[in-house]
Amino acid sequence: MLKTAFAGISRLLAPVVLALGLLGFAASAPASASGGSGWLRLAHLSPNTPAVDVYLYSFHNPNAMIVLHHVAYGTISGYEKVPSGVYTVAMRAAGASASSAPVLSTSIDVHAGVAYTVAGMGPNKGLRLQVLRDRLTTPRGKVLVRIIQASLSQHQVTVTAGHKVLVSELAFASVTGYKVVSPGTWSVRAVGETQRTTSVITLAAGTIHTIVVLDDPGHLKLDDLVDAAGSRVLPAGAPATGLGGTAPRPGPSPVLWLTLIGSGMLLVLGGATWARRPRGAHAVGSRRPPAVT
Amino acid sequence: MARSAGVVLVACGVLAAALGLGGWVLASRADAPRPVGPAPKVAAPTGLAGQPGSWRHGRGIRIARPVRLVIPAIGVSTSLIRLGLTSARALQVPPSPAAAGWYTGSPRPGAVGSSVIAGHIDSRSGPGVFYRLRLLHRGQRVYVVRADHTVAVFRVTAVRIYPKDRFPRAAVYGPVPDAELRLITCGGLFDYATGSYLSNVVVYTVLIRHLNARS
Repeated sequence: MLKTAFAGISRLLAPVVLALGLLGFAASAPASASGGSGWLRLAHLSPNTPAVDVYLYSFHNPNAMIVLHHVAYGTISGYEKVPSGVYTVAMRAAGASASSAPVLSTSIDVHAGVAYTVAGMGPNKGLRLQVLRDRLTTPRGKVLVRIIQASLSQHQVTVTAGHKVLVSELAFASVTGYKVVSPGTWSVRAVGETQRTTSVITLAAGTIHTIVVLDDPGHLKLDDLVDAAGSRVLPAGAPATGLGGTAPRPGPSPVLWLTLIGSGMLLVLGGATWARRPRGAHAVGSRRPPAVT
Repeated sequence: MARSAGVVLVACGVLAAALGLGGWVLASRADAPRPVGPAPKVAAPTGLAGQPGSWRHGRGIRIARPVRLVIPAIGVSTSLIRLGLTSARALQVPPSPAAAGWYTGSPRPGAVGSSVIAGHIDSRSGPGVFYRLRLLHRGQRVYVVRADHTVAVFRVTAVRIYPKDRFPRAAVYGPVPDAELRLITCGGLFDYATGSYLSNVVVYTVLIRHLNARS
């Protein structure tokens, strides 16, 4: 008997407990909407490696989540938002069967709110898949810039923005850390042993860039990637986007209505008492005889 | 004579009490939120098949400035004005409650980064352009038409409400690596003392594709 009562109560409470649990979960969700997902992009940066097909697998799932066909040297994809978790990136020769053994593969653990670049780097003979962790925040009002040296024809390259040296003698297949640069439109220059190139690149405050040095038959080429962008200036406070015309309007305080009800009840009481008073007693109230008209 | 005066007093009393009770009930009913009502019918903008929004996106496409915002799910179709910052460095808000605005300090909708569009939930007298914004939910589509007649198509990924004193500026305005759009309005309770809502509603969306202009 007691047991069934308990069972009944717990049956009744179960949805409440569940709802509370869900509320707790909702409340603990991160402020950023990127909770539970990260970002991935893929790049082919090996100059003497022919085009490849790039496969992205969610861990333990034999069916590819995404396939990029015929990705040639110098191709860098945009970012794809993916649920956080472990992924495998595999490269096969362009047109090779999806079931054939990949030329190269690597696994990557995507954390929530983090962006990664998976790049095929190095010479064809020493090709490797490198996983780079990309930055998503800048110092206030500044720009972050990183350089990838993917030119095989120039073994070492020095890169400058205006008069600022971003990196000197960066070796082939290496990557710098992010450097803080002032926003502006810069003449970015890459100088190798025998070749050089200049590009005008706009670096807006609040953005993060990766500049890739590439071989273009016979000379160097720069590719400017926007890793992430936000507002140039973060507005202060919270936007004031409402004037209240549709907001619930609080009525006047109930004190007014309560006073009205109270005085009404007093009147009723007073009136009733007066009406019940004996006539004699009434005469005391008015000594004067009634006026005759 | 006295008896009738008493009766009149009683009648007045009953009347006053009834008025008081009636007034109280009506006043507390006015407190209840107004029904939102059905959204006007709005057609989604169309265009020719264009680039998808993610892997292949972001390389070498010129993104024109946004001119129109369309959200069929909540009956929004509005021109977009340009918003800057006030002298106090706060986000400007549209002078008209009927139009939304794009914050020119944020990336253009469809470009890499966190683009920002703000609009009013209401004016002093009635609904504004983003009156129904809080009713959006995951998966619904948001369209931005640009000056070159191309269209950026976004998908809602989250709808959040934040108290104004804990507005997550970095999460809303800070850098992101893909092309996202945030729609901002007010919500929650209205403070009649300060003439301001106490919360903000933010709808997070991500680009799913570009549509080319019809020739």
